[in-house]
Amino acid sequence: MKSRIALAAVVATASIMPMLLPAAEVVVNGVAGFQDTPLEPDGKWHVHDPARPQPPVVTPGTFSAAATPPSDAIVLFDGKDLSQWTDKKGQPAPWTVENGVAISAKSDIVTTNQFGDLQLHLEFREPLLQGREGQDRGNSGVFLMDRYEIQVLDCYNNKTYADGATGGIYGQHPALANACRPPGEWQTYDIIFNVPHFDTTGKVTSPGYITVIFNGVVVQNHQAIRGTTNWKSPGKYTAHGPTGPLGLQYHKNSVAFRNIWVRPVPLVTDP
Amino acid sequence: MKNKILVLAGLAMVNVWPVLAQTTTAPAATKPAQHAMEPAGKWFVHDEKRPQPKIVMPGAAFSQSAPAPSDAEVIFDGHGLAKWENIKGEPADWRTQDDYVETKPHGGGIRTKGKWADFQLHVEWAAPNPPHGTGQSRGNSGILINNMYEIQVLDSYQSPTYPDGQAGAVYGQSPPLVNASKPPGEWQTYDILFESPRWNDKGELVKKAVVTVLFNGVVVQNHYELVGCTDGINPAVPYRSASKYPAPHAPEVFIQLQDHSNPVRFRNIWIRPMHLGENL
Repeated sequence: MKSRIALAAVVATASIMPMLLPAAEVVVNGVAGFQDTPLEPDGKWHVHDPARPQPPVVTPGTFSAAATPPSDAIVLFDGKDLSQWTDKKGQPAPWTVENGVAISAKSDIVTTNQFGDLQLHLEFREPLLQGREGQDRGNSGVFLMDRYEIQVLDCYNNKTYADGATGGIYGQHPALANACRPPGEWQTYDIIFNVPHFDTTGKVTSPGYITVIFNGVVVQNHQAIRGTTNWKSPGKYTAHGPTGPLGLQYHKNSVAFRNIWVRPVPLVTDP
Repeated sequence: MKNKILVLAGLAMVNVWPVLAQTTTAPAATKPAQHAMEPAGKWFVHDEKRPQPKIVMPGAAFSQSAPAPSDAEVIFDGHGLAKWENIKGEPADWRTQDDYVETKPHGGGIRTKGKWADFQLHVEWAAPNPPHGTGQSRGNSGILINNMYEIQVLDSYQSPTYPDGQAGAVYGQSPPLVNASKPPGEWQTYDILFESPRWNDKGELVKKAVVTVLFNGVVVQNHYELVGCTDGINPAVPYRSASKYPAPHAPEVFIQLQDHSNPVRFRNIWIRPMHLGENL
């Protein structure tokens, strides 16, 4: 279905470790993905399987667009500067800030603060990209503790493998619905995250849990995650401490972000 | 354990206790010995000594006036109560005006004709302004899921009451993580994610009801597993007694708005199925 150039482009941008080629990409029903990858634990689908059912399309409302932060939130980006972010080497964040928005460029960025359990609000806007498709269309990501990724992608009239679509826990759990707004419009993520816990030997005693409300539509409901996000891997935990930075991915596409705030509070209800 | 007066008071407080409480100026003194212990063994049901949730001033709007997603059913948009009935199954007769509906004090609750399992519910509500009454008699209402599982509606803005009875509480069980109340008269939002309980063919509970609540955009319940029915709204669990699950019921449940003798307004109510289990 696709030209070799398009395939190469998709492969080259297919997520975190694009250097690990060759990848035997396959196209099923017009969706590019992989079937030479490990099976997910349910035994039904390969990681990034193009045959995995597409999330049902839901046309969302505006929901929490431009929501102002609650009093206990830390504002991570209010349109002025990225002083609370750096690149992964601790150098100033190389993204551009203009007209009150931050636009992804050059490298991933991470917060200078570390967070454990949290509630996170952010807004993103996909670029208008003619002729791009699949993982090559407005790709970015929200990394919790710099390792658990909630995918950011333009999946408005754009198909990709289900576990790599917008609102998916990348490579693991597709979104329950495709609630994308068109490129050029602001979209909201309201995220609730409970950190995983490990015993002294590094064994998982409680997985991490992620809830995502995407444009007002629940796309992850306290979903237990399987471990660190990795390209073509079903996810595996590596023990870590109780906090970590938030990260935003640069994935060769210029994705705009605004209005980022976080409530770094324990989110386990007192029994 | 109880003397006759307390029994009478307890009975009177089931559903309509502000009839008594409205005349008091402070929360009724808790006598924990008359209240069942919560399962964790730390606090009594409606324990006033339980720590007060920290106060958080929410943002201005969050999901206020949020339009419904395309797969949601709008169950109240300001135009009539065709999708509602009273608790006898008769037409709902609460007053509607502009874009809102107001509880009819002493008129009984209203419930949806429709039922849903594992849903996302958006509701906006406003407590009376100027406020009237204190504690549990100040803007009291509730989102009564299947008339069994209550998310409390109350004017908790600078108005103390026992923590498990505040706005955003799973009434009688789980206080809100924080108090994110807005002043009375202002519109407030609930975004509720509810997973229905499940029983097997033998009638054994195999999955508890679970709820997540964002109150004015602030997480106040995060995947809380309910102990059972809310006390005081359903005969299965009398007021102040230990919660337990009712007899098995279908996962499809109705939404009831509580009449708790206080005029509370609701608007922009929509609900959609979450399609759980399709992304595991």
